[in-house]
Amino acid sequence: MGDNSDVIRVMRLLQFTDSTFPVGTFSFSNGLETASLEKIVTDAKTLEDFARSQSRQAAFSDGVAALQAHRAFLRGDYPYCKKCDSYLMMFKMNTESRMMITRMGKKLAELGVKLFDEPVIKMWLEDIRSDKTPGTYPVAQGIIFAAAGIGERELFCSHQYGIVNMVLSAALRCVRVSHYDTQLILEKMATEVDQLYNQASQMDLQDMNAFFPELDILASLHEKGNMRMFMN
Amino acid sequence: MIAQIKEKTAAPEVDFSKAREMGRYLAEPEAMYVGAPGKHGYLRLGFELDNCGKSILRDLDRRHPLIVQQELYFDEGMPEMPCVYILSSGGPNVDGDRYQQDITVKQGAFAHVATGAATKLAEMRYNYSGLIQNIVLEDNAYLEFLPEPVIPCRHTRFISDTRLCVAESATVVYSEIFMGGRKYYNDGELFEYDILSVCSHGERPDGTQLFREKFVIDPNLYNPRNLGVMGDFDVFANVIVMTPPDMAEDIYNNTTVFIDKKNMIAAGITKLPFSAGLLYKVIGSEPGPVKKMVREFASSVRTAVKGKPIPPEFPWR
Repeated sequence: MGDNSDVIRVMRLLQFTDSTFPVGTFSFSNGLETASLEKIVTDAKTLEDFARSQSRQAAFSDGVAALQAHRAFLRGDYPYCKKCDSYLMMFKMNTESRMMITRMGKKLAELGVKLFDEPVIKMWLEDIRSDKTPGTYPVAQGIIFAAAGIGERELFCSHQYGIVNMVLSAALRCVRVSHYDTQLILEKMATEVDQLYNQASQMDLQDMNAFFPELDILASLHEKGNMRMFMN
Repeated sequence: MIAQIKEKTAAPEVDFSKAREMGRYLAEPEAMYVGAPGKHGYLRLGFELDNCGKSILRDLDRRHPLIVQQELYFDEGMPEMPCVYILSSGGPNVDGDRYQQDITVKQGAFAHVATGAATKLAEMRYNYSGLIQNIVLEDNAYLEFLPEPVIPCRHTRFISDTRLCVAESATVVYSEIFMGGRKYYNDGELFEYDILSVCSHGERPDGTQLFREKFVIDPNLYNPRNLGVMGDFDVFANVIVMTPPDMAEDIYNNTTVFIDKKNMIAAGITKLPFSAGLLYKVIGSEPGPVKKMVREFASSVRTAVKGKPIPPEFPWR
């Protein structure tokens, strides 16, 4: 670590990635609640497989939007940040996932205004409040991480950590696994993030893609069901 | 008397060379070149109401190998509905094939479009097979697009782009069924294709973009057998319904979602972004039950919009 600014960047990265960062991560399970009920995820092995598909699905959609918004902020192209936002909303086929990314996105924008004296973040929150942009979480991450001086590779890692940790934290409440199991999965999946970053960082908005029909059907069962430990 | 000149469109270029995922598959085939006659199909179908209010196929233009002869009125549940089967005289889609299908349903008209048989996608070694579709529905128009399944082979490369431009008062049911491959060929060819890239996007006539769904399935990069993708299922159906919100709500409420592991079939439904309509997905192990689910779902859409169910499929289909 070279100087004080490096320390500040690392501290901010830890702060924004922490599961207690108040954006409401704990309310969501990303479909795990239904996968557990349907006995599709039953142990550490199936939990790892489930988390890996969630990670990949997020990498080539949310991850691409976050990276593109980060780059747009750095080149002063605010309209492109909004384009990333609307593009991601168009790509989110599932009602509950749209709810999740807009709810968490608005909370992050509200926090961003308090944490940084940055006119673009203020404008972003105003545009969310006046329905000029949906205000998705990955795009808010892109903007706020860039404003905080955190690089895009770190942003991508934080985003991936958030997705996987959301699933693993929920697993401790609805799947028969231990803390040791979830930490081992997290450690193993950390080694795969670089490859995902290398692919996602080459993609444009129109390259965003996802093929996870089993996850989609699980999400639909949750959406139409009455079970509500988590909001998705 | 001046003879009426029937407009004949030059078959538009179909080029996916800028699609990132197809970058590896741009070599010129050693057999017939890309876009050669017979390898560049084009179809233009235009349905509209005639002076008596009958829905007819007014506009038809085609280039081989795609064939549409004329509309037939064989739907017993809706005998006023023009029905069209798209045929291909060329057998399977081969290396370097290009296709474009433009379907317009004008104000108040309605139609049913399907294919005569499954679309087979042959093994490819140099290039890819590409399809562009433009489906346009004017006010109060109605279209059922329920083709037979798509069957990829080992080393198939296929890409499609479907634009659904639909007025707020119109309804389209757009379905696609993808087999994992030739399941019973030799030891089975499931998920041995090189790539399937399928994009469908919806918009309003004023250009407002509503949704964009894109699958890029590259079994070498991520195994479709993984949990969350296809798992143990072999067949995948995707049905997009663009319809006004009140109809969408009725259809959504009447649709059952489930995972039946014993019979290996599962179905889910959700609402498209920006109140554009619904998205229904089915995964199964054999095409028959999946086709049946798709048809029953399409029937619930026809019932909500036209007040009539779709009759059972012909026994030979």
